[in-house]
Amino acid sequence: MDQILNVLVVGLLLGGIYGLVSIGLNLIFGVVRIVNFAQGELVMFGMYGSYFAYNQMGINPYLSVFIVAPLVGLLGVAIQRFVIQPLHAESNMQIFATFGLLMMFQNIMLAISKGEAWSVGGTMGTLVWDIGDVKVSVVRFISFAAVTLITIGLHFFLKQTIAGKAIRAVTQDKRAARAMGINVERTYLITFGIGSALAGLAGVLLTPIYAITPGVGGNFILAAFAVVVLGGLGSVWGAYIGGMIVGVVEAFAGFYIDPVLRSAVWFLIFLIVLIVRPSGLMGQVGAEEVGFREQN
Amino acid sequence: MKLNRRIASVALLGALSLASATVFAQQTIKIGAINPYSGPMALYGTEVTRGYELAVDFINAKGGVLGKKIELIKGDATNAQQGIATVEQLATKDKVDLFMGTYISGISLTASDTAARYNKLYWETNAVAQNLIERGLPNFIRTGPDGGAFANTSVAVVKDLVAPAIKKDLKDIKVWIESEDSIYGSAIATMQKAQLEAMGVKVVGVGAHSARTIDLNDTVLRAKQAAPDVLIQTGYVPDGNLLLKTSRDQGFKPAAMIFVGTGDTPETLEALGADYLEGILVVGYPKYDIPEAYGPGSRAYLAAYRAKYKGEPLAPQSMAAYSGTLILFEAIQAAGSTDADKVQAAVAKMDKPASSYPSGFGAKFEKSQNVRSYFTAAQWQGGKMVTVYPKTAMPPGATIKNLTRK
Repeated sequence: MDQILNVLVVGLLLGGIYGLVSIGLNLIFGVVRIVNFAQGELVMFGMYGSYFAYNQMGINPYLSVFIVAPLVGLLGVAIQRFVIQPLHAESNMQIFATFGLLMMFQNIMLAISKGEAWSVGGTMGTLVWDIGDVKVSVVRFISFAAVTLITIGLHFFLKQTIAGKAIRAVTQDKRAARAMGINVERTYLITFGIGSALAGLAGVLLTPIYAITPGVGGNFILAAFAVVVLGGLGSVWGAYIGGMIVGVVEAFAGFYIDPVLRSAVWFLIFLIVLIVRPSGLMGQVGAEEVGFREQN
Repeated sequence: MKLNRRIASVALLGALSLASATVFAQQTIKIGAINPYSGPMALYGTEVTRGYELAVDFINAKGGVLGKKIELIKGDATNAQQGIATVEQLATKDKVDLFMGTYISGISLTASDTAARYNKLYWETNAVAQNLIERGLPNFIRTGPDGGAFANTSVAVVKDLVAPAIKKDLKDIKVWIESEDSIYGSAIATMQKAQLEAMGVKVVGVGAHSARTIDLNDTVLRAKQAAPDVLIQTGYVPDGNLLLKTSRDQGFKPAAMIFVGTGDTPETLEALGADYLEGILVVGYPKYDIPEAYGPGSRAYLAAYRAKYKGEPLAPQSMAAYSGTLILFEAIQAAGSTDADKVQAAVAKMDKPASSYPSGFGAKFEKSQNVRSYFTAAQWQGGKMVTVYPKTAMPPGATIKNLTRK
């Protein structure tokens, strides 16, 4: 029984990590309808930013979030304004452009790090809570708590604020939103900025857990895309619930079946969900088609 | 008349420079050094090549080989495909006499194959995949140990170091074998399992994970449930660091932890800290603390490295590359040529005992593989790696510490 509980906790905490890296991607993928291949590299920038803040300036990695996340957000705004927006009539080219960004970002960090794996050292990340036989890693719990709070915050932002309502309107029908006087381009800028800042935030929170390499973003991104599609495009709670499902399924499959098969098991669930409900678990029915209806 | 004289002097100058170029060419042996010098693997590609460069400096200072100076020409190959293109370019444009490399087996595989098409020798110092030799390529010779040596040494460490330290008979020792799931890790894991079971050791689990995994909790919980005395891990730096962090968080404390291939660099020290690493064993290339009796010339190598590159070596791979290059020069000298067949014939006759070269290697080739090249085991002690196996490689005064990890 304790073991089941332990695996469940491990799965939920892993789900928190998946949710964290997916939530920004979900906004960008769901609202701007861009398959942003460089999203993992924004997470990577968050990790390096936190590492530099800690190593060069002695700033606690968690406090560095207040500098790093806005900077990555600004980078996202610049990407949307100067790379994605000029290619608005060429949706395929937008995807290739994000792939170009991926290569560029990775190689910049490669030149700086020379391919060495860096880590935040010291006692950071060593705290563990013992609850009976269950071990809870504090840094993973912080990620879990953060993604929960961010999801709630984003939920209210999208429901209660004018900017949030504009984002939802654009998600549902870009043309109608424009007809209602919503500045679609500005909404895209805001969304890309928030999505990127969340990626940067995810990177900061993951820094105490992982070795930082220029290719580290790629370790998360495939799963993140699957989480977004599983949860539902543009649905904040979809990314959260999707992340939890993937995390828990992976932990149980890894422990009780075989670690080698864990990804196969949750991708099977992913396929079944897609076949039964193409809009994802929490996505608006038909939302998955909007991007293809509106390529103007 | 004036014009004629001018033409004559230009022609004379041209002839002279051509003649001097020919003389220069005759006095030089050109070696194409294939390694990744850009991209994510550049760090170690450059490090391995530093071993070549220092060996070239050493031999040129002594007058070269066959009375000719050695010239090293770097060829950047970051992947297997680029290995082909780079060898082709060096063979046709730079007209190198032979090739050497590499620290990535996949690149060595295609680069040496391409070198064979140009009938050029491919001298391998650092790639470990066993199939590189199993192909029976006539131009291919390897001076460093292969993946099988990783398995042999890690199993020997269990038998000779761990068993006495934890005071158990081999048949009572339980081992969990973990590896990354590519051919590199899984091939070594398979050999470790077979050898350990042949000695009567209980292998209580064999786990495999992706080198790019973001979670190893399930693996660690499975291993913890099996309660092994020893954990052996073969993989890369990021997954190795994650395995250690997850083991720490889950309270998984096998008496001994043996890492194979990686885990001995500052990257792991920075991630885990000296206290946690204390006592962990790492099987890899001989370190710089080995005594002169084990690795004659290792001190001089270290001094030459520091003088030329103004810093400490990043990894021990470069000294193995240096030793392999010294063996190459002796083989060319004995063959009287850089011709692949003649060098093969010369190495077949080589018979130098272990501890003839700075990294402790000897030179005795069977099927083009140097069977007197060895890995050693070192232990994390106070944030430093100290060689602890074999005994002859231990630095004076060194002891084994905290092997039953607390």
